[in-house]
Amino acid sequence: MMQIIVQGLLLSGLYALIAMGFMLIFSIGRTLNLAYGAYIMVGGYIYFWLSQQLGMPKIVGFAGAVMVGALMGFLKHRLIVKPLKGDAVAVEISTLILAIIMQSVMVLVFGDASKILLPIIPGVVTVAGAQVTFNILAATVMSWIIIAALYAFVRGTHIGRAMQAVSMDEKGAAISGVDPDKINMITWAISGALGAAGGVFFASYTQLSPQMWVAPVIISIAIVIVGGIGSIIGTLIVAHIIGFLEVSIVALWAPELRGVFTMLLIIGVLVMRPQGLFGREEH
Amino acid sequence: MTLALEVRNLVKKFGGLTATNDLSFDLAKGESLGLIGPNGAGKTTVFSQIMGELRQTSGTIKLYGEEISKLTTAERIAKGVSRTYQVPRPFAELSVRENIRVGLMPDSLRAMIFGAPDRSREAELAQSIGFAPKDLDKTASELAMGDLRKLEFARTLATGAKLLLLDEVFAGLTSGEIGMIAELIQDLRQRGFTFLMVSHDLPAMEPLVDRAIAIERGTMLANGSFADVLGDKSVRASYLGES
Amino acid sequence: MRTLDLRPHHLVLWAAFIALMLLMPLMVGNGTLRTMIFACYLAMFAISWDILSGRTGYLSFGHPFLIGIGAYTTGILTRRYGIPVEASIPIAVLVTMAGGLIILLPALRIKGSYFALVTLAVMELMLQLVPVIRPDLTGGTRGISRLPALTRGAENGYYLAAGLMLAVALFAWLLMRTRLGTALWAIGMNEESVRGSGLSTTRLKSFAFLVSAGIAGLAGAFYAHYLGSITPRSFFDINILFQIIVAVLIGGAGTIIGPIIGAFFMVFLLEWLRPYMPGTERFFVYGSIALVLYMYQPKGIMAIVDTIVSKMKGSRA
Ligand SMILES: Nc1ncnc2c1ncn2[C@@H]1O[C@H](COP(=O)(O)OP(=O)(O)OP(=O)(O)O)[C@@H](O)[C@H]1O
Ligand SMILES: [Mg+2]
Repeated sequence: MMQIIVQGLLLSGLYALIAMGFMLIFSIGRTLNLAYGAYIMVGGYIYFWLSQQLGMPKIVGFAGAVMVGALMGFLKHRLIVKPLKGDAVAVEISTLILAIIMQSVMVLVFGDASKILLPIIPGVVTVAGAQVTFNILAATVMSWIIIAALYAFVRGTHIGRAMQAVSMDEKGAAISGVDPDKINMITWAISGALGAAGGVFFASYTQLSPQMWVAPVIISIAIVIVGGIGSIIGTLIVAHIIGFLEVSIVALWAPELRGVFTMLLIIGVLVMRPQGLFGREEH
Repeated sequence: MTLALEVRNLVKKFGGLTATNDLSFDLAKGESLGLIGPNGAGKTTVFSQIMGELRQTSGTIKLYGEEISKLTTAERIAKGVSRTYQVPRPFAELSVRENIRVGLMPDSLRAMIFGAPDRSREAELAQSIGFAPKDLDKTASELAMGDLRKLEFARTLATGAKLLLLDEVFAGLTSGEIGMIAELIQDLRQRGFTFLMVSHDLPAMEPLVDRAIAIERGTMLANGSFADVLGDKSVRASYLGES
Repeated sequence: MRTLDLRPHHLVLWAAFIALMLLMPLMVGNGTLRTMIFACYLAMFAISWDILSGRTGYLSFGHPFLIGIGAYTTGILTRRYGIPVEASIPIAVLVTMAGGLIILLPALRIKGSYFALVTLAVMELMLQLVPVIRPDLTGGTRGISRLPALTRGAENGYYLAAGLMLAVALFAWLLMRTRLGTALWAIGMNEESVRGSGLSTTRLKSFAFLVSAGIAGLAGAFYAHYLGSITPRSFFDINILFQIIVAVLIGGAGTIIGPIIGAFFMVFLLEWLRPYMPGTERFFVYGSIALVLYMYQPKGIMAIVDTIVSKMKGSRA
């Protein structure tokens, strides 16, 4: 039982982190950014490359992943999203194509086989009778630090508030002196950085493979929609529902059914309550 | 006298905002009623509720004596009510003819697959609203604002409904075009059509309506002849005082 | 045939196209024919996707799911229950339509992006579910092998694939020329206005979905017999989805010939690249070409051809 609670908290923290980056983009322009999965994947691989293949310090690997993620987010906004001028279908399709391209780049550079990341911090600790690796503990603590920092940033800084303003009403924000274009660009970059950071932790939790991006991207999109778009609290709650659901099913029933129930939950909620569990109806 | 439309105690809330506030009014068959009010008064919201595009919070709507609140938009249109949109919503990549064709289609898959389009009726409708024969094959995205409004009107007429809700049909039109649409409305009134219309162009609307109601923040201010409603003190304060 | 507004040049073009496809085995070798077989199946998947998504704008990211149901149904019926293909393929089509209807129909009521997400989740669900539920029937991760072959040799395989594709294309073309086709297209441009014209959009979308699912199931079932073996990874996979969508977009959504051209173009592009790039680089180049073409002209090759033709006409006049 303790094992489930501890593991559940850990996995949920990770999911919450991944979902946050997606939420930023989704709340401006409702863009279903499938290439968000590419940040997750590329983040994991860049970390692997720098810290494991080149033997650099882990912090350099992590910083490198985050920077590449931010750069990808920035470039995507400049080269794809902006030229398509908010045509949602076109953005969805081109981001899908982009994600597949990035997947093939990863295969090209790193090969098709899965890779195991060495623990970011080696060692095991016993928490309330449950065995927890330092690695996953560190991942969760980092996730929470990042989430808290993001929250403080969005609420407390000028740029953060401008991001919120743009997400609610682009024209209104423009009138009140905020340059939506610049804010959008910053948001895309931050989203890319968050995705890459989440990717490093996610890869250390599972493993690194070129197909690893599909499930986390569906889960993070779903967490955001099911949690009610733009609601940070709702996002956290749903991340925990899914995290605990998966951990419980693995522990109590059958590990191979883990993803099945997540997908069923997502499908069920989207079909029956498209505004999400904690969101208000949109017109 | 049969009633075409009976709206009783209609209320629509968007979260904390009450967009329609206990509104009641009637519309007799063949009558033409003007609905006026300042920006954001809730005129369009009333239309959307009559059409079932928005569900009312409470209250009833009867069409030709029948409660329609549970019907879908398509079912309501089949019973004889149809609307235009304030911002025209054409099918941008279809031709003028095809836009009208969509309005003419019966709501039956079998008929849509096996029935032939009525090309002469399409042309006739387009012509009645002032399209030249050469305009029929133009793509909607090539049209100017005035033509888009005319197209919207034609598609609404094509549904065969006898009760038409017109939302700002004159906005963005030249005076020549306004005259043409006004003439068409008069002609349709002769032929027994019923109208509920919204317009900020009061002089253009005046000759086209038998009666008017004024609303503000969803609440009825006045109901009577066009002159009386415009003369009403509260209407002058809220509406005319503003503009 | 006033319903369809058929013109003489339509007849000529179709006859030429059918003749070209059927004479192909006389002109090319067996290797090329095998490539064309795959292109024919991809074209059918693409037509199926286009009928739903290309017209109504409801993006289906779950088409591999539909194709997979068709393939698995006929696979299970023939291999586990010994049912002949004459029965198993029609059953597979019906099962695909029914399965798609039950699972995806509720999703058609929700708006664009959410529909795409639900269909993507359904595909991922199947990828995870098929290997673990009744592995005695589905064969688990290893799938089902030694499906009965329908034809022998590349030439016969080609005739079957090309014949099916022509039949599917002709059917879809005729259907889309009716008023129903116009209405579906109108939904993609402005769904509220279609509703405001008195049409039940849910019924229209459901119908488009059923036709799309039927074609996907049919093509998926025949494709499974052509391949001879099926696995969850080879069907419920995002790369299949990618190939389908790219074929439609590169060719031109909302047309029938577009997805066919797109499928052949992309399949042969991969083949031509093979000598120079034996590995995964090909998919990188392929994806990049797709992205650049799409960003340059979202309406695809058909629109590019149209522009060129009208320019040539313009300069002559
Ligand atoms: N879908 C919606 N969700 C929330 N609020 C809405 C919605 N639609 C309209 N409103 C609000 O309801 C009020 C009435 O709007 P409505 O569009 O009906 O006004 P109107 O009288 O048609 O104005 P106008 O003359 O500008 O067309 C406005 O305050 C508007 O902001
Ligand atoms: Mg209005």
